Amino acid sequence: MFHAILFYTFAAVLIGAALGVIFSKNPVHAVMLLVLAFFQSAVLWLLAEAEFLAIVLVLVYVGAVMVLFLFVVMMLDINVERVEGGFTKYAPFGLFIAALMVIELVQIIWFRSSGGARSGGFAANPEGYSNTEALGAVLYTEHVYAFEIAAVILLLAIVAAITLTMRKRPGLKQQNISRQVAVKRDDRVRLVEMDAETEQ
Amino acid sequence: MLTNYVPVLIFLGIAAAIGILLLGIGFLVGSGSKDDEKLSPYECGFEPFEDSRMKFDVRYYLVAILFIIFDLEIAFLFPWAVSLDTVGGFGLVAMAIFLAVLVVGFIYEWKKGALEWD
Repeated sequence: MFHAILFYTFAAVLIGAALGVIFSKNPVHAVMLLVLAFFQSAVLWLLAEAEFLAIVLVLVYVGAVMVLFLFVVMMLDINVERVEGGFTKYAPFGLFIAALMVIELVQIIWFRSSGGARSGGFAANPEGYSNTEALGAVLYTEHVYAFEIAAVILLLAIVAAITLTMRKRPGLKQQNISRQVAVKRDDRVRLVEMDAETEQ
Repeated sequence: MLTNYVPVLIFLGIAAAIGILLLGIGFLVGSGSKDDEKLSPYECGFEPFEDSRMKFDVRYYLVAILFIIFDLEIAFLFPWAVSLDTVGGFGLVAMAIFLAVLVVGFIYEWKKGALEWD
């Protein structure tokens, strides 16, 4: 009962935050509401006893991906007044995606309820069950191929990010500290022998 | 398992209550005489030079994305460490290959100078 109240509370805040992401005029506010939405979905993972996924959602999405989103939003330098006209322009595309998602969700629910999958929810976990351990047990053995592909995708992301954003500025003057420290007196000072000049 | 998280829930409740309470008191008790001058950004006695939105150097983005990649790499290490007893030598080799591929990327970005901030 308490579990259900928690679920519906956090799910309601999640839906509210998700709607806020779409309807807020300020892109930075939208990103902040997306952070809230990620926190709420992390709590939903937790309620499903998937501790690791919940913590990773906070760690990776809130901690890193949202920082990137903020950078991108700020880098694009969006003018708030100018954006407002875009809503009707992208509305058909958005409705198409929304319809697609609804069809997929309905299919899954229909499939579930028609007895295609197991009905009546998931079986209760035995005592001492660890979701993290169960995840690890299949991820590194059964799904090892997908796991190694993840490594290659991450490598690809490194290379792509560096190629796209690395800029070497030509003619940039830099300090070379080791050379500065290693400098000798003779490199800088030249003593010149000369006769004293006499006034004529 | 979920009982371990009761303190977190209590903390969330208290934090939300304090946040709502403080903002609510300010909203209810405050005089609310706002005008354009009061709401405009204040910049120490002179007109603001520019908008608060400004373009960032793209290098911040590069640092952020490189951070995300290695953050994800670490996320993959946690379940591996927990289940090392069950996955055994096969899992060890799988993780070694995973890390080797990412070390290639790490060497690439090091040699390319992407970690330097000139």
